[in-house]
Amino acid sequence: MIDLAIIGGGPAGQAAAEQAAAAGLSVAVFDEQPRPGGQIARQPPAGFTVPDWLAGRAYAEVRAQLARFEGLGGVAWHGGTAVAGLAAGADGFRLTVVTPDGAERVAARRVLVAAGCYDLPVPLPGWTLPGVMSAGAAQAFVKSQRIVPGGRFVLAGTHPLMLVVAAQIVESGGVVAAVMFDQPLGRCVARALADPLTIVRHAGLFVDAAAARRVLARAGVPVRFGRPLAAVEGSEAVAAARFADGSIMACDRVALCYGFVPQADLPRQAGATVRWQAVAGGWATAHDAWMETDRPGLFVAGETTGVGGAAIALCEGRLAGIGIARSLGRLDDAAAAGLARATRRRHARLSGFARMLAAIADPAEVLARVPPADTILCRCEDVTHAEIDAVLATATAPNAVKLATRCGMGVCQGRMCEGALLRRIAAADGTAPGAAGGFTARFPARLVPIDLLCGLDDVSAEAVAD
Amino acid sequence: MLIVEAAHANAGASGQNAGSLHFQIERRFLEQGEAKAAEAAAITGLSRMAVDDWRGLEQALGADLHVHMHGGLMVAETADEVAMLERKAARERAAGLSAELVDGAELRRIAPYLSERVIAANHMADEGHADPRAVTPAFVAAARAAGAVLAERTRVTAIARRAGGFAVTLAGAGAGTVQADQLLIAAGVWSAGVGALANVHLPLFPVALQMNVTERVAPFLPHLIQHVGRRLSMKQAHAGNVLIGGGWPSRMAAGDGRFDLSRRPELLAPSLAGNLAVATAVLPHVGGLNLIRSWTGTTAITADQYPLVGAVPCAPGLFVAAGGSAFTLGPTFARLIAAQMAGGGAAAEAKAALAIAAPARFDHLNSFMGG
Ligand SMILES: Cc1cc2nc3c(=O)[nH]c(=O)nc-3n(C[C@H](O)[C@H](O)[C@H](O)COP(=O)(O)OP(=O)(O)OC[C@H]3O[C@@H](n4cnc5c(N)ncnc54)[C@H](O)[C@@H]3O)c2cc1C
Repeated sequence: MIDLAIIGGGPAGQAAAEQAAAAGLSVAVFDEQPRPGGQIARQPPAGFTVPDWLAGRAYAEVRAQLARFEGLGGVAWHGGTAVAGLAAGADGFRLTVVTPDGAERVAARRVLVAAGCYDLPVPLPGWTLPGVMSAGAAQAFVKSQRIVPGGRFVLAGTHPLMLVVAAQIVESGGVVAAVMFDQPLGRCVARALADPLTIVRHAGLFVDAAAARRVLARAGVPVRFGRPLAAVEGSEAVAAARFADGSIMACDRVALCYGFVPQADLPRQAGATVRWQAVAGGWATAHDAWMETDRPGLFVAGETTGVGGAAIALCEGRLAGIGIARSLGRLDDAAAAGLARATRRRHARLSGFARMLAAIADPAEVLARVPPADTILCRCEDVTHAEIDAVLATATAPNAVKLATRCGMGVCQGRMCEGALLRRIAAADGTAPGAAGGFTARFPARLVPIDLLCGLDDVSAEAVAD
Repeated sequence: MLIVEAAHANAGASGQNAGSLHFQIERRFLEQGEAKAAEAAAITGLSRMAVDDWRGLEQALGADLHVHMHGGLMVAETADEVAMLERKAARERAAGLSAELVDGAELRRIAPYLSERVIAANHMADEGHADPRAVTPAFVAAARAAGAVLAERTRVTAIARRAGGFAVTLAGAGAGTVQADQLLIAAGVWSAGVGALANVHLPLFPVALQMNVTERVAPFLPHLIQHVGRRLSMKQAHAGNVLIGGGWPSRMAAGDGRFDLSRRPELLAPSLAGNLAVATAVLPHVGGLNLIRSWTGTTAITADQYPLVGAVPCAPGLFVAAGGSAFTLGPTFARLIAAQMAGGGAAAEAKAALAIAAPARFDHLNSFMGG
């Protein structure tokens, strides 16, 4: 049995691994990506070199962390490995881990879930057409191999990250037709200016955003504000983006960027308490000052606890790593508190910036709009808003609506539709989204070929014994 | 008629089960020796009625329940298992249910998708499956149309037995006290607890099972598949997903000296691997499909494995309908218990049909309960 299994090789997971390894723990890190980095520092595949990879200032700290992580001894890196199951056992946890050619069960005394976030899905007419993607997915292509998926992009949403993604597309030789912010510029400025001190403290990030805007200006890419996307049009694939003011823009890729929701399926599967994240939604895993959940031995860090950005994730990973070493008796309280002091101060400072960014990117207005009744809400099972509303007249428990409509029963396990459904339920019965909980989180967190699971026989014999 | 439901209609086992319509004598009756198997043939009387009930159910309820009755195969991989199938089929034939043994070329013709390891099967033409998502809501709609009231998010918290009836205390959305001439406890795995409120022992034991479902694929499996020697039930649901189960256990939470039915049972890794291994051994194609979800659910069984459906002798006016494979047999239980409670001409016949399930067989447990 290993001391610590970390799920997620982004900044949070790396920082935790560094602290835990320094305290002498045996550590294994699992990530679906082949190489460490997480979303923000997604690395090119080994053997590729990408000029100016992650050159921006905001990435400096993340790059330094990555370099330290890759130099660590005593940490086993398991890339290309999805963790599909997490269950508490008598003296620790059991993970079901899956690679393309096998599944395995791994026992660990402590588990850290640092699984990051994913793009907030916003159901609008045409969002299921081939060619519509999340900005995160567009960026993943660009960051890893600088291959630009397709021709002419429109970026639409509320999140300033759109500027960075658009600039990255342009720099990789792609064509961006426009960057269309849903909210008016005045609102962004007002919310930023509400906290000028924070702007000064995090000037680096604003410099990056400004640099991105310069790239776009040089390439002649218009950046517009107050232009809500109404629908994506096309019969077989994306042909155009239609905006609320009636204007239509021809394109063959639409990247949506309305914010991010925490990836918390594993903590939920293990029974940890989660809370609905304000505005953008999604389940943020609750934790104490050492990042431990209410399932003893299960820790969380980074965006699994709520979306706050890479720098906060790094702090939380560090705190979790120290907290885990402490919980295993490798650090006493005083030593742990000493190690954590500076990180706690930094975390508090960064939180101000995270709050400001969330205020600027606030998708509340977008989420409050009711799309046309025939708009698909659950894309795996093709369930429309109208079908959901018909059931909401008599049943509003999330699992009841799921059973009645199949919404959330598909291959994504509800990742794409749960938030939208919970918002519909809240609107129907006048409660807050998530007030009555969500879908029951079930095994597996990722699709697994049945053949691989049959092969778990041997290890499961051990599971019976303990 | 008032239906009291603590959560929402279909929240319990009826919305979580495998949806099998199995009429062959179940494997659980066959794995306990010949004496039990012989005795269990009595259940086939109810199965025969259930075949007819399911054939007419969509029309009776005026709803699409995705009833597929295209036949079921209970498969065997060894000579011993084939012998079990032969004995079972003989018993079924004697009881008026026709299961035929198929093997060789005939088996391959009926079910070309089965692996070479399967050497024979009992084929029963009426078996199949239906959609648990659709059945309970259709019954709810029909009951409402007939004048029944459904009180959801309403829990029975006390039952006082009065001369000629019951005073039932309700909490939640429909809080209050209602008077009833007769009371039917049909609370699934929670029925024993509701019985306690009426001061009677209902000997039902909770068991937690787990189920698995694959992604949706094009139709390739028209039959219900079961196994005579190993735990397996498998079918392709209407939507295209393959459901894999067959009585593999999950683990109930326990606390306070008893099983805690309010908590979700925990998935057991050996059950998961074991169930999927049997499924792929019988139907190799399934191995290439993706598992999208495994879930757990709780159902109730009795000490002798037969259902518990009928009048509770020590408490006049009190009835129970619980236990057993009550997706397959549920509509039949419902029809018979309703006839029995309504009294009149059909009551005696209904009571006779339910003889094997009569609560009277356990009435000795209530001989110290003080009425
Ligand atoms: C995983 C699984 C697979 C199965 N597969 C099959 C199959 O393939 N074929 C088959 O025939 N059978 C199958 N079964 C069994 C079948 O599902 C059950 O026998 C059947 O659904 C029971 O129906 P019921 O109405 O008695 O109970 P339930 O459907 O459990 O309903 C009981 C209801 O009572 C309510 N309740 C409880 N306490 C109170 C209270 N105090 N006040 C008010 N309401 C209360 C609950 O909320 C619940 O909705 C399976 C069961 C499981 C768990």
